[in-house]
Amino acid sequence: MSEPYLHPGPTSFWFRYFFSTDHKVIARQFLWSGLSFLLLGGLLAMMIRWQWAYPGQRVPLLGLILGGDGAITPSSYTGLFTMHGLIMVFWAITPLLIGAIGNFCIPLLIGARDMAFPRLNMYSFWTFALSAALVVAAFFAELGPATAGWTTYPPLSTMVGAPSAGQTLMVAALFIVGASTIMGGINYIVTVIRFRAPGMTYMRMPLTVWGLWLTSILNVLFVPILGSAGLLLLLDRLAGTKFFIAGAMVGRAAGDPLLFQHLFWIFGHPEVYILILPAWGVIGDLLSFFARKPAYWYRGTVGAMAAVTIVSGLVYGHHMYVAGISPMLGLGFEILTLAISFPAVVLFVNWLHTVWQGSNRFAVPMLFALGTVFVFGIGGLTGLFLGTISTDVYLHDTIWVVGHFHLTMAAATFLGGLAAIYFWFPKMFGREMDPTLGKLHFWGTIVLLTAVFVAMHVAGYAGQSRRLYDPFQYGFLRHLAPLNRWTSFAAFALGAFQLPFMFNFIKSAFAGKKAGANPWQVGTLEWTHAPSPPPHYNYQAIPTVLRGPHEFSDPAILQALGKDWVGQAEELPSASEAKVAAGA
Amino acid sequence: MQRLMRTATLAAGAVMLLPRASGADGPGEAKVGLPLDVSTEGHRIDALLHQTLVLVGLLFLGMLAWMAYALFRHRQGHSARFERGEGAAGKALPLGMAAFVFLVVDGNLFVKSSRDIDHVFWNFSAVESRPDALRIEVNARQWAWDFRYPGPDGRFDSPDDVITLNELKVPAGRPVVLQIGSTDVIHSFNLPNLRVKVDALPGSISRAWFQATRNGQFELACAQHCGTHHYKMRGLVTVLPEAEFQSWLAEAQAHSLRAFDELDESARWGWSWKDHRP
Ligand SMILES: [Cu+2]
Ligand SMILES: [Cu+2]
Repeated sequence: MSEPYLHPGPTSFWFRYFFSTDHKVIARQFLWSGLSFLLLGGLLAMMIRWQWAYPGQRVPLLGLILGGDGAITPSSYTGLFTMHGLIMVFWAITPLLIGAIGNFCIPLLIGARDMAFPRLNMYSFWTFALSAALVVAAFFAELGPATAGWTTYPPLSTMVGAPSAGQTLMVAALFIVGASTIMGGINYIVTVIRFRAPGMTYMRMPLTVWGLWLTSILNVLFVPILGSAGLLLLLDRLAGTKFFIAGAMVGRAAGDPLLFQHLFWIFGHPEVYILILPAWGVIGDLLSFFARKPAYWYRGTVGAMAAVTIVSGLVYGHHMYVAGISPMLGLGFEILTLAISFPAVVLFVNWLHTVWQGSNRFAVPMLFALGTVFVFGIGGLTGLFLGTISTDVYLHDTIWVVGHFHLTMAAATFLGGLAAIYFWFPKMFGREMDPTLGKLHFWGTIVLLTAVFVAMHVAGYAGQSRRLYDPFQYGFLRHLAPLNRWTSFAAFALGAFQLPFMFNFIKSAFAGKKAGANPWQVGTLEWTHAPSPPPHYNYQAIPTVLRGPHEFSDPAILQALGKDWVGQAEELPSASEAKVAAGA
Repeated sequence: MQRLMRTATLAAGAVMLLPRASGADGPGEAKVGLPLDVSTEGHRIDALLHQTLVLVGLLFLGMLAWMAYALFRHRQGHSARFERGEGAAGKALPLGMAAFVFLVVDGNLFVKSSRDIDHVFWNFSAVESRPDALRIEVNARQWAWDFRYPGPDGRFDSPDDVITLNELKVPAGRPVVLQIGSTDVIHSFNLPNLRVKVDALPGSISRAWFQATRNGQFELACAQHCGTHHYKMRGLVTVLPEAEFQSWLAEAQAHSLRAFDELDESARWGWSWKDHRP
C-alpha cells in the first residue's frame, strides 16, 4: 500500500534536527525551547518570591547574576516580574501546549501524515526562535529588560516610563512571536479541516484535537489584535507617534492610554482560553483512558468548549472595571463573564462523571490530569469574585488576582501540559519515563502549587497589592510578612520538586526503557497504527476510522475481543460486529 | 451565620480567609482577613465577598468529596461501568449543576453587585446632589499624590486652592467626592479601609466617593504598577471630626494664596470641577 510520494526522511544532521518540516521534529523543537524558557521563567519567579520573603536582602546563588551586592533593587524587581510574566505566557506555556503538543498530536491523532503546510510549520518554529533570541537579548540590553509589567500598559511602557532598550526588544519580540503563533494556528486549523483520515468525523476526534483546534481558531482571531497593539506601541516608542500617550496635562488628551487596554484585553481574555483549551482537551481524553470509561457526554464537553471559545471574545471588559467604565457597560461584561461558569461547570461535571464508577488507574499522566481538574476547580471558583464588579473593585490589582490566574492559566496549563508530556513521551521518544520519579514529581508539585497559589489568595484578600517591591512598606500589610515568607518557602520547595522531572525527562529521552507501540492500551490512532516513535510520514497506510476515541469497557467488545478497549480503526470479527452495532 | 461561614470556609481549605477585620495600623496583628472597614457602604462589598466565599467553599467541598470518593472506591479492581452519559438522564446532572451555579452563585453576585453599583458605588449624581458633599481633586504622579481643595472663592483651578501632598484630610460623616487624574502614567487610587479603588489615567478624569465612619489615619496605596518606586507611592487619609476639619481648612485657605507660585508649572494640574448632577 506504500504510496510513491512517501519518500524517506532527510538524513543530513541539519535537515533532520534543525530545518525539518516533520511535525514530530518541530514538536520536539518547541518542547525543548518551551522547557528551557519554563526553567528561566521559574528561576525569575523564585527571585520574586525571595524578594517577598526577605525584601532587599542578598539573593543566595542567583544573586551573582544580579550584579551589585546581589540584592534585588526596585528597578531590577520590575524587570523580574515583567520578564517572568511575558516569558511564561508566550515563550513557555504557548510553545509547550500549542507548539509541542499541538504539533505532535494533531496529525497523529487525526490520522494524517503531516501538517497541511509543513514548510509553514518550520517557518513558525524559526520565527519563534527569532523572537526567543530577542527575549534573551533583552536581558543584556542597555538599561535592562522590559519593566512595564506583562500587560505592558502605556504610558508606562512608552519612553515616558520605560526607556530601556529591553522594553523595545520585548515589544518587538511579542509581535514576532505573535506572527509565529498565527502561522501555527492557520496550519492547525487547515490540517484538522482537510487532513482527517477517512471516517474521522468531527464527533470522533479525540478531545485533545478539539481543544487544540479551538485554540487555533482563537489564536488566528485574536493574536492579530495583540500584534496591532504591539505595533502601535513600537511606533510610539520609536517613531514619535502618540497613539497611547495622553500628554502631561490632566484632562487634556492627545492619544489614549485606554485604547491599548482595550486592544490588549480583547486579546488577553481569550488568551486565557487559548492556553487552557489544549489542557482541557488533553485531560478530557486522559480521564477516559485511565478510568477505562467513555468520556462522559462527549458532545456536551465539545459543546461546552466551543461555547467558552465563542463567549471568550465578549467578556474582556472585566479587566477594566476600575478603569472608569460606564456602569451599563460594566454590568454587561459582568453578566457575560459570569455566564462562562455555565459551560465551565458542564465540563467539570463531565470530567468528574468520567472517573465516577471507573476502573481508575493512577498512572502518572492520570495523576497530572486529576491535578489539573483540581487546581482548575479552585481557580475557576475564585474567578467569580473578579468577574463581579463590586467585589472586583476591592480585589482588583491584589495578589488574589495573581493567585487566581496562576491557578487557571499557569498551574492548570502546567499540570495539563505535564500530563500530556508524561502520556505521549513514549510515542514521542520511543522510550518510557520512570513512573516512580513521575509520582514523586506529581505529589510534590500538586501539594506545593496549591499551597502557594491559595496562600496568595489569602494575602490578596487581606489587601496585598501585586507588583510591590516591598509590600511591607504599608502598615496594613505588615502582618502578612510571615505568610509571605512561608509561601516563598513552599515556592522554593516547588522549584526543587522540578528537579526529579528534569532528570527523568532528560535521562529517559536518551536512555529510558524502550517503549512498546501501545503501552497505555488505548484506542487512538497514534497508539494503534504507528510504532513508537512513528516513522517519517507517520502512517504507511492511512487507517479508516470506525468509531470514537473512548470506547472502553463495552461489554460487547469485551466479549468479542477479550480486552476492555478497541482501536478507533480496529476491525472486529464480523460476527460480533453486528452485535456491537446493535448493542451499543 | 458567622459560625456557618467559618466552618465552611475553614473546611474548604481556604486556610484563613476568615471574615475577620484586622486593624488598619497592622503591626502585631496576626489575623488574616479583610482590613478594617471604616466606610458607610463598604459592608456591601464585604457581605458579598463573605457570601460568595461560603458558596464557593461548599462547591469546592462537593468537588473534593466527589473526586475523593470516586478515586478511593473506583480503582483498578472495580470494573468500569459502561456509560456514555449521552441520554437525557445523563445530561441532567451537568446541566442541572451548571444551572444551579449560574442561578444561585452567579445570580446572587449579579443581583447584589448591580444594585450596589447602580445605586451606591457609581451613583455619583446622587452623592454630588447632597448639600454636605465635599469635593476634592486628586493628581497622581510618579510617585506621589496631590490633593486640591477649593479656596475661599469656592472654585477649583484658581490660585487660592489649598493643595496638600500625600495627605488627604476629610471629615467623618460627610460624603467625599473625588475627581482623579494623572500627569504621567497610569496609577490606581486605592483606599483599602474605605473599599475604594479607581485608576488614575493621564488624559481623563476618574471619579470615586466614600463616607468615612470613624476618625483616624488610614493608608492610601497605589494599586497599579507605575514604575520603579510604585511600592513607595503611599499616602495617608486623615479622618477628622467635622469641627476640626473645618478649622484646618479655614487655616489652610488663609495661607493658600501666599503658597501659590506663578512659575511652578507642576502645581497647575487642576481643572474646573466636572459637574455630574442631573
Ligand atoms: Cu479575562
Ligand atoms: Cu502609582
